[in-house]
Amino acid sequence: MTNQKEKIGNGLCHVYLIILSVIAFFPLVWVLLCSVKSSGELTANPTRFLPKHFTLENFTHVIQDLGFAGNISNSLIIAISTTCIAIVVSSMAAYGIVRFFPKLGSIMSKVLVATYMFPPILLAIPYSMVMAKLGFVNTRVGLVIVYLSFSVPYAVWMLVGFFKTVPLGIEEAARVDGANKLQTFVRIVLPLVMPGIVATAIYTFINAWNEFLYSLILINSTDKMTVSVALKSLQGSEILNWGDMMAASALVVVPSVIFFMFIQNKIAGGMTDGAVK
Amino acid sequence: MKRKVKFDYARWIFVLPALLVVGILLVYPIFSSLYYSMTTKHLIKASYDFIGLENYKAVLSDSNFYKAFLTSILWTVGSLLGQLFIGFTAALAINRVKIGKGIYRTLMIIPWAFPSIVIALSWKWILNGVSGFLPNILVQLGISSELPQFLSDSSLVFLTLIFINVWFGAPMIMVNVLSALQTIPQDQYEAAQIDGASKFQQFWHITVPHIKVVVGLLVVLRTIWVFNNFDIIYLLTGGGPANATTTVPVYAYNMGWGTKLLGRSSAVTVLLLAFLLLVCLVYFTIIGKWEKEDK
Repeated sequence: MTNQKEKIGNGLCHVYLIILSVIAFFPLVWVLLCSVKSSGELTANPTRFLPKHFTLENFTHVIQDLGFAGNISNSLIIAISTTCIAIVVSSMAAYGIVRFFPKLGSIMSKVLVATYMFPPILLAIPYSMVMAKLGFVNTRVGLVIVYLSFSVPYAVWMLVGFFKTVPLGIEEAARVDGANKLQTFVRIVLPLVMPGIVATAIYTFINAWNEFLYSLILINSTDKMTVSVALKSLQGSEILNWGDMMAASALVVVPSVIFFMFIQNKIAGGMTDGAVK
Repeated sequence: MKRKVKFDYARWIFVLPALLVVGILLVYPIFSSLYYSMTTKHLIKASYDFIGLENYKAVLSDSNFYKAFLTSILWTVGSLLGQLFIGFTAALAINRVKIGKGIYRTLMIIPWAFPSIVIALSWKWILNGVSGFLPNILVQLGISSELPQFLSDSSLVFLTLIFINVWFGAPMIMVNVLSALQTIPQDQYEAAQIDGASKFQQFWHITVPHIKVVVGLLVVLRTIWVFNNFDIIYLLTGGGPANATTTVPVYAYNMGWGTKLLGRSSAVTVLLLAFLLLVCLVYFTIIGKWEKEDK
């Protein structure tokens, strides 16, 4: 009897999970399917689910005629630079907090939560003014600097959780062998936390790649635009070409999703571990 | 002695760059915004005057600000309840089933990776009032007699936005709750079963206390995020139709980059931050109590 109840319960769980999975998954599928449909088919009535004629014309149009390749390379340069700088700065800080400032550590993690509270729209105003003064409006450098504002605190927070897992004994052994703090950090600790650092780096990259508000405010020339603002500007054209927009969306979202798959197991602990304990 | 001084110096090297980033990119702008919120700073004009609290007076006497504030609260509470409910139940369901755990998790996590612009474009296209997939399906199935205008019908638009935000935010709750669930020692459930505790009692006395702190922290983070979120609403509706979906961040953006009154826009964002600080203070008092109970 209880066994039967258990089975029905499990069955209901599966039904529920399948429904949720389909809803979660559907927009990605729809973007991909529509990106290879011709424009006539996209607006055809009734709506067909699968494309009748597979075509790549949306992709070639977006990349060649609309210069989306340039936007992709802008976003890549910005996201990679942000990630590299943020990871160096943050792993040093996370290690420093865990090892040398154990008491300050809990205060610092509170400070990090506090910085998370700062509304991006509040920061956007001083950023736009300072960047204008420094001549960094419409430059990739300007965006990289601004992106550090959200990527560094978040990366530190995640990394603190990973650095905490390194046993102190290993480091002391290295110290006895005559290594100084920096050597211990680079040769002993970093390799041990590498999986955590890679996960954090990927997460930082995705967030920089996906960012919208700062790039909307600081970039206004088409050739300097990041992918998200370039996509937004497609929406502003007079005749909405949904085929183009779906193809461009696919180019932006697919890398994010793939990267996310790699780190999905690391990401959960990292977000709450750093702060809770 | 000299060596010791050198060591102290070395440990500061580790945290200094991050402190600089936080100081220059986060602390300085806050003060700068506070200052500009008391000036007539304009987006284009170079000169501006100090006017004290005039901007705050202007903002606090604008009925649209209160409307945006109320919209923000509804948007945050609605989104959060939905995200928590879906994320929580999904995590419990995944934790219970024996096959397909990994596949469900992987599929459900996908929305989390979406850039806000693609969230907006994909849903705009799915919900498009002429050729959209969902409206057409609803008409074909006979559920609706005419194509529903999810993003421009003022009675539907708010629920649509909350649905999309739940779609986007629930995975994060799900993943974190799931990982917290997996840290609960199984023998506690076995012991409870032997003592004859019902499923609900087990849930209430074992599961809830174990994941309370993690869920509390998630609620704080999500509240902050949703309240501050600008992209999703701006990109999906731009605050319309007729300001029906204008939240405080969208209101501040329109003030600063639409009407070009940066000073007044700063005042709005400072009020936004002050409100968030207050909310977080309450949250952290509660979580602090929970953490003490655990010990």
